[in-house]
Amino acid sequence: MNKPLQNFDVLWPARTNEIPKEVFTRADIYEEELKRIFYGPEWHPVAHEGEIPNRGDFKTCFVGKVPLIINRAQDGKVRVFFNACAHRGNQLETATAGNKSEFECPYHRWLFKDDGALVGCPAEAEFTPGFKRADFPLAQPRTEIFKGLIFVTFSDRTPDLDTFLENSQAGLSNTLGNDGRLKLLGYQKVRYRTNWKAYIDNDGYHAPLLHKAFKMLNWQGGVGRQYATGQRGHICFESALSLASGSNFLKDPSVVEFRGSDPAKGSNITALFPTFAATSHLDMINLRFANPLSVDETEVHYAYFSHQDDSPELAHHRMRQSANMLGPCGIVSMEDASIFHRIHIGNHTPGNVTFQKGVKSVSVVDMEFKQNDESGNLPRWDYYRRSMGFERQSA
Amino acid sequence: MKKITAQDLHSIDELQTSYINALDSKNIPGWLETFAVVPDASYICTTAESVDRNLPLALILDDCHARLQDRVTYITKSWAGTFQDYRTRHFTQRVSAEAQADNTVKVRTNFTVIYTPEDTGSSEVLTAGVYEDVVSLANGSAKFISKKAVTDTSVLPRYLVYPL
Repeated sequence: MNKPLQNFDVLWPARTNEIPKEVFTRADIYEEELKRIFYGPEWHPVAHEGEIPNRGDFKTCFVGKVPLIINRAQDGKVRVFFNACAHRGNQLETATAGNKSEFECPYHRWLFKDDGALVGCPAEAEFTPGFKRADFPLAQPRTEIFKGLIFVTFSDRTPDLDTFLENSQAGLSNTLGNDGRLKLLGYQKVRYRTNWKAYIDNDGYHAPLLHKAFKMLNWQGGVGRQYATGQRGHICFESALSLASGSNFLKDPSVVEFRGSDPAKGSNITALFPTFAATSHLDMINLRFANPLSVDETEVHYAYFSHQDDSPELAHHRMRQSANMLGPCGIVSMEDASIFHRIHIGNHTPGNVTFQKGVKSVSVVDMEFKQNDESGNLPRWDYYRRSMGFERQSA
Repeated sequence: MKKITAQDLHSIDELQTSYINALDSKNIPGWLETFAVVPDASYICTTAESVDRNLPLALILDDCHARLQDRVTYITKSWAGTFQDYRTRHFTQRVSAEAQADNTVKVRTNFTVIYTPEDTGSSEVLTAGVYEDVVSLANGSAKFISKKAVTDTSVLPRYLVYPL
């Protein structure tokens, strides 16, 4: 007999600042998350057009277990295809990126044009009566683009992208250079041994405490805020970043200088549910594509960009800064990577995790937070809880 | 083309050995000492995927001697006490050495790094790749002018604290 999916035996605490640890570690919950969230009514950013600037450029990636090809065809149009032959479902493309005007499945040599049309299939005369090539193009998920950022969804129930993004659009647009004309600098790719929800659960409270470099660089937290953009679990951060001054911590401080961006808007994060984040920090433009490989492992591709209008010097500065500051080896983020691993180990213990900093009430979920609050994560948790059908226990 | 001597090769191999011994002993100042003290001495760790696609971004990019010194500060001061420490064992095999006109040698050396986190105690491959180095043989001592670790591993299995 099928168990009802509604509660999954999870005892979700009544207090809004507590999260049951078992949701980080249970394989059955991960499988349900794939259905309800990753294949459910959410938009998932999978690439930026800056990664496929030329006709014929493509990139492959995964959402959950689903393989995708994102390409710019010879007609100049960006499309997303399921990376599976329309015939028997064989994985069509194995490279992570490249340039092709056709995709050929090696199994039975079915050939697809870069707009997805089936243009070749050997021994077609012996196929089923009435077989038409036009009935077998590469399948495509629903796709929408915001300032060059390419989103897909696998559900018919997902609202249009504009509705999905709620009030995150201004912050996201700002990070994408407002016109979306970004140029790829490169990637840092890593697998973190953590549940995807622990990866996205990094908070405003930890930054000056975990990262000693903040203090060593004399970075004072400036004026800032974080806010939920509505009811879909997206969170935006905006804060000033004071310039590093009076510090002799670095022999080469050029790497932490502002050379194009406004320090008053020095740090911006747009975290879209479930796993994506766009950040602009100093002069860095960073898009983080994260995919849950299993209940215990999350693969993150940090993609970094310059803007097409940058001088060569500014683009080079952005590249140097990006390679030094963020990602799995960055001066102010390597420690985050370690915390992702450690928190996942710790989450196998019984009970609930607790959020404290910035929590004003344990019976409501706020929408507006101070820069160094950890309570800013709670609207996302509440959306997750509702998406999964977990009921809060009564107080 | 200057001919490379057995003594040159010996000096180069000794330098590479000092390099991996410093890292595997977590002697970070010792790692720094394997680089020539010239302003543009550099250490870059990137992926073969990035090199093939001509993407400039790297995993670690210390493009001047000052930044090499800053790397020592990150590891020994900024990050101390925040990460799950791990031992490494580097295994290297020189595959080519070409003498250049300016008394430097371009050296390619395959590497594998095994790592053992203190908490799991289980040893796994961290990465495999090739060092593409420029070694100075000036003044009778071999030093890296530039060292570039190009990893075949395009998706790291873990965050990196120590250079490769």
